Amino acid sequence: MTARLHVDLAALTANLDRVRTTVAPAELMLVVKDDAYGHGLDPVVRTAAAAGVNWFGAFDVRTGAAVRAVLGGGPRIFAWIAASRDDLDTAVAARLDLGIGDADLLEELVDAAHAADASVRVHLKIDTGLHRNGVRPEEWPAFVQRAAALQADGAIDVVGVWSHIAEASDAEDDDARAVYESALSEAAAAGIHPSVRHLAASAASFARPEFRYDMVRVGAFCYGIRSAGGPSADELGLAPIGRLEADVVAVGPDSVHVDLGALHGMPSSLSGRAAVGTPAGSRSLHAVGESHSLVQTWPVAAVGDTVTVFGPGAQGEGSSTDLAELIGTIGEEIAVRVSPLVPRVYER
Amino acid sequence: MSMPGSGPRSAPVARISRSAITANARAARARGVHSFSPSVFEADAWGHGAVLIREVLAAEGFVPVDAPTTLVLTTGAHAAPDRPQTPVSARELFGLEPGTTPALRLTGTVLSVKDLRAGEGVSYGYLYRASSDTRLALVTGGYAQGIVRALGGAVDVAIAGERHPIIGRVAMDVCVVEIRDAVVQRGDEVLVLGDPAAGEPSLADWVRATGLFPAELITTVGLRSIREEAP
Repeated sequence: MTARLHVDLAALTANLDRVRTTVAPAELMLVVKDDAYGHGLDPVVRTAAAAGVNWFGAFDVRTGAAVRAVLGGGPRIFAWIAASRDDLDTAVAARLDLGIGDADLLEELVDAAHAADASVRVHLKIDTGLHRNGVRPEEWPAFVQRAAALQADGAIDVVGVWSHIAEASDAEDDDARAVYESALSEAAAAGIHPSVRHLAASAASFARPEFRYDMVRVGAFCYGIRSAGGPSADELGLAPIGRLEADVVAVGPDSVHVDLGALHGMPSSLSGRAAVGTPAGSRSLHAVGESHSLVQTWPVAAVGDTVTVFGPGAQGEGSSTDLAELIGTIGEEIAVRVSPLVPRVYER
Repeated sequence: MSMPGSGPRSAPVARISRSAITANARAARARGVHSFSPSVFEADAWGHGAVLIREVLAAEGFVPVDAPTTLVLTTGAHAAPDRPQTPVSARELFGLEPGTTPALRLTGTVLSVKDLRAGEGVSYGYLYRASSDTRLALVTGGYAQGIVRALGGAVDVAIAGERHPIIGRVAMDVCVVEIRDAVVQRGDEVLVLGDPAAGEPSLADWVRATGLFPAELITTVGLRSIREEAP
């Protein structure tokens, strides 16, 4: 297999700078779930920490504990999924900040904190309309009152109030923000004054300044993955940090064989729809097989030539989001589908 | 503390059944097939784990055939009819053909249960809106674990043997299931991929919903979920 994912860590640093400049004075939380969107958790978090990023968003406790193991005691690590008491115990031991959006889970966390004789930093989650995790608005006043009582008891330290928005439309996001504002007021009435209010992810962090509050949680933009249907990476001042490549392994009359296919994570639905980068520029992706693909040939095509499936565009390739839009999905899905068996090659 | 590996997990779990692979291999042998192509080990045996597959093939007396000398673009769209001299196919071995038993069983965990009122939307873009009051379960597993984004609104999962649809956009690590008035609680197991012969959600539903190859769908699930060997 010659397929490899190049990861440009200098581009990551530049994107982090760009995001931080854009959202300032709000702070950046770099979201690193799913092996840093497939780019590799360890090098990404080390690079970000060296660039001064102090908050990491980990999705689950398992990932949060992995970030803590890499970075040690300093940075704040936020996880918002705990599936079991074991997870809660691990979170307490790893000194994670935990997002809690369920009344029963809050009680269970307090048990875990007591068992460890520790105090846990908690970010209470209001459901502003996404209807995944988060406490519904009608249940919120009782939830924050209970949290305030538990905080007085010392088991938890409520440092954050947060939510996820649906990004369905600006108007609906405005409605969600109104719910968030009410939740903040009700929290204040209960005696909870969070120092870290956070609501926005990538798209809103750039386009909607009023959604930034104290911190934004950004994954995609830091990796240079623009929103489907949104402004280009160039317009955003960002560059894709990932570049998926493979070699030509055979040359036919009409097409070349590239040893990268659907089993490596390139969706077969891109067959006949996408273009990829070659030494001669952009060429059609004729077919995607399980282990190989066929790409429209070019003059003097030779075995060993590099074909770029997605990347910053130097060989005429599109971005992961460009490919995603052809098959009705988003760049993040293209990025995280790249097989973990495809080697990551880091460039500094 | 629960036993390691036995409790609810924050990521979906893919259990690979040694007995199912063995049964599929024996069914092939009963037809006179006793060889395999090294291609069955591609992508860590399509995400099932090449070590386990090698063990079963060796235990059942299968021998390798030489790799094809000409480069063939396999798409998985048209499996060749089985002939006695044909090596066992990955699809047959892993239980993706009719009449075979799926080797991979994918389960998630209910993270939370909540009410949804008539008119309210679910997940990114509010693609789903409730026509009447209902109830939802948030379940581990999203497109980063191979529950591809196109499955939102297209396939079912099963909880305690009862089918429930995935609604709204599948997110990177979670999806939302409409459970209506079913008795479901945090920590419950959710069957995402099982055995179609038992009436369970299966990969064939995913192929119909996405148009993708069975191989690419199952491979991402096997490589990106928490993988465990089952008896």
